[in-house]
Amino acid sequence: MVKSSLISIQDLRITSQSAEKVLISNVNLEIGKGEIVGLIGESGSGKSLTARAVMRLLPPDMKVSGKIFYKGTDVLAVNPKEHRHLLGSGIGMIFQDYRGSFTPFIKIGNQMIETIRTHYKMTKNEAKSIALTVLEEMGLESKRVYDSYSFQLSGGQVQRAAIAMSLALKPDLIICDEMTTALDVMSGERVLDYIDQIRNKTGCSVLMITHDLALAYKRTDRMYVMNQGEIVEEGLPEQIRCHHKHPYTKKLCSCLLALPAKKSIQKKRAYSV
Amino acid sequence: MRKTLSIVASRLVQLLIMVSVLSFVTFVLMKVTPGDPIRDLLNVDDVVATKADEEKLKKEYEFDQPILVQYGKWILNVMHFDLGESIISKRPVIEMIVSRLPATIALTTGGMVVLFLLSISFGTLGAVYEGRWPDFISRWVAMLGASIPSFWLGLLLIYFFSLKLNLLPVMGKGTLAHFVLPSITLGVAMAPMYIRLLRERLISTLQSPYIEAARARGLTKERILFLHALRGSLIPLITMFGLSIGSLIGGVTVIEILFSWPGMGELIVSSVKQRDYPVIQGYILIVGFLVVITNLIVDLLYLVVNPQIKQGKETV
Amino acid sequence: MEPALIKSRALKLIHDPTMTIGLFLALLLGGVTILGGWLVPHDPFQINMNNRLQGTSFDHWFGTDQLGRDVFSRIIYGAKLTIGLGVFAIMIAVVIGVPIGLFSGFIGGRVDAFLMRIVDGILSFPDFILAIAIAGMLGPNLTNLIIAIVLVRWIVYARVVRGLVLAEKEKEYVLVSKVSFSSAFKTIRMHLIPQILPDIIVMAAIDVGKVILLISAFSYIGLGAQPPIPEWGAMLNEGRSYFQVVPSLMIYPGLAIMLTVLCCNLLGDGLKNYFDIRKRRG
Repeated sequence: MVKSSLISIQDLRITSQSAEKVLISNVNLEIGKGEIVGLIGESGSGKSLTARAVMRLLPPDMKVSGKIFYKGTDVLAVNPKEHRHLLGSGIGMIFQDYRGSFTPFIKIGNQMIETIRTHYKMTKNEAKSIALTVLEEMGLESKRVYDSYSFQLSGGQVQRAAIAMSLALKPDLIICDEMTTALDVMSGERVLDYIDQIRNKTGCSVLMITHDLALAYKRTDRMYVMNQGEIVEEGLPEQIRCHHKHPYTKKLCSCLLALPAKKSIQKKRAYSV
Repeated sequence: MRKTLSIVASRLVQLLIMVSVLSFVTFVLMKVTPGDPIRDLLNVDDVVATKADEEKLKKEYEFDQPILVQYGKWILNVMHFDLGESIISKRPVIEMIVSRLPATIALTTGGMVVLFLLSISFGTLGAVYEGRWPDFISRWVAMLGASIPSFWLGLLLIYFFSLKLNLLPVMGKGTLAHFVLPSITLGVAMAPMYIRLLRERLISTLQSPYIEAARARGLTKERILFLHALRGSLIPLITMFGLSIGSLIGGVTVIEILFSWPGMGELIVSSVKQRDYPVIQGYILIVGFLVVITNLIVDLLYLVVNPQIKQGKETV
Repeated sequence: MEPALIKSRALKLIHDPTMTIGLFLALLLGGVTILGGWLVPHDPFQINMNNRLQGTSFDHWFGTDQLGRDVFSRIIYGAKLTIGLGVFAIMIAVVIGVPIGLFSGFIGGRVDAFLMRIVDGILSFPDFILAIAIAGMLGPNLTNLIIAIVLVRWIVYARVVRGLVLAEKEKEYVLVSKVSFSSAFKTIRMHLIPQILPDIIVMAAIDVGKVILLISAFSYIGLGAQPPIPEWGAMLNEGRSYFQVVPSLMIYPGLAIMLTVLCCNLLGDGLKNYFDIRKRRG
């Protein structure tokens, strides 16, 4: 099913040392090159922890076991310096809280230059031209955004700038953690359109973490359902929606169906039934 | 702009209230004081004072008039930048104090440099290694620093570095070497609360989403700590500086006496001993002014370093 | 309180190393302060010019000063002064400040606004400078210094207590007791005081240290205790010309001040943890 695996999470298990509690266990997840994979579940189900394990952003009192292979190397085993390099040029991440996407008292442009030059040897001017190009590609007024602090922009603009930032590093995988949750519907859709667009253009993979089933149906190639720290189901969006096996998925879906259905979903439904 | 104006206005109001309350209180205290200042003054010269001498002096310093009249006259003079003249040296008070100002400011600057270095290093150490032994060291440095009397620390430093090791000059002012010991003493005396505050702020900053985002971008640890986290954590220290300017002026006074540093503090202490009232009053007025102006500068600086407030989006 | 509860609380107190060291120092210093008069081997004021500037010996543990007085005896005797005055000044400040803060916060409204306006005005002025002003106006001596300290410190307590009262007032139990017609006095005694007591104790512990530093600093610059009073700061002032010859004249009084202030800071920190002040306030 997976064409050629980009990242493969195997038997991931996270425990908190202080409370000796298992936070997530038996997480197996695979993303192919160029795929958009959804990871859905309600808040507290362990989606974000999984993503943070890949980024090695977990607090030091959490213990991680299992393997995460990215292009054949185990992300959890490499030394911090190599991992840091991986983060810049391989895996980018967009967070839910757009106010925290950039450091508030440094101009966005300077942060972009800083990040680009951390990972690629180039002059300030070269980095600046890259920054302006990717901001432009994200449909932003590049000059203005470049010279702004993050709080001077709208949430949607900040998230697009954050995508632009990771795009500047030519990533192979972008992890979007509830990227649109804090945005209004229109800006959220727009941000997601840009994600689609860059995926088509660069062929990078996307891990879309969300609690919004409708979004996942519409935007992903394949999805995983997570509940209480475990992955309970995996499949194509239609499978998850119509032929789910796990009771939790059923519950999730029935919640969604109670909402007014979106046009695109109606189309898909007509096709698959 | 509007915000800036309102800050300036409220500080000016504070200045007015503070100066009028304090000057009035000192006036009243002077009046009800049990020791007669005129008699004290005559005794300084070690001559037998006659009743006539006393009357003459009283007239000269207008001590015979009602207190409100004296106060009113003083305030009127203050408005013309005239703080009267010293009873002892007969020089204008404002000139005496202003001539001492540069030495005090120089010493304070030296102390600030030491303070900055100490609080950044130990505050960062405590935050980055929270709960581990460097944090323990940071905590005890702050604890001991808060407990050691600054003048005793100064004495110890003089004893070891000047008398035993002969490395640095003991007292006075002149070369850069003269700055070293007084600055260290002042810096150490002020550092503890800054160390603790910086440590706490840095710990909470390091957990904030924007630091996580910076880590996710693969920036180096050092870059994140010094350029992203530390900068955000230093902002509350600026406010702290405004609040502690008073104890700073107090601390400088003791250190000036200790090192025979010819600043404002040395002037005021000798004036208090000689009960040179015009100088004391002038000093209080000028210190009040300095405190308010410093706080005004701190307020404005806060606007500059924290661009969010200018937008009216105040963050906690 | 039940014995088991007392025991578990006592254990919790001792478990914290900060607190253990602090308590140990407090016992030591408290003992010296109270028993000072009986402990001194020599008369702290007895001048003996034949025996001046002696180093440490069996008879004079900390040596003798420039007038031949026994330094150890003077330090022990001085504890009563330095520590006693520090504690005394803060006690007075608490006794004045807490009721005013309670009153102002509990009454609220215009009285409160008026009181706090005054308080803010004075608080923004450095206490050190105010102490200098008062010393300058009333004359430099220990009594005037204590007056100055109390004048500034009570305000700090009034301010803090008022803030705490305002916060507690919002909570339900105070509202309930108002509705049930129990008098305001009773509400304050039964509900507010137990709530604010821990904060006051912690503040007072740390403040005693600060005041001791202030008193000794003032005595050192000659605006506090005057010779021959064996206040520790004044002792350092008196002996400062002889430090190079007899370093013990410098070391021991300073060490005594530092240990005392350290004790206050340790107790303050330990009690803060014990009462969980930060956690309680969220």
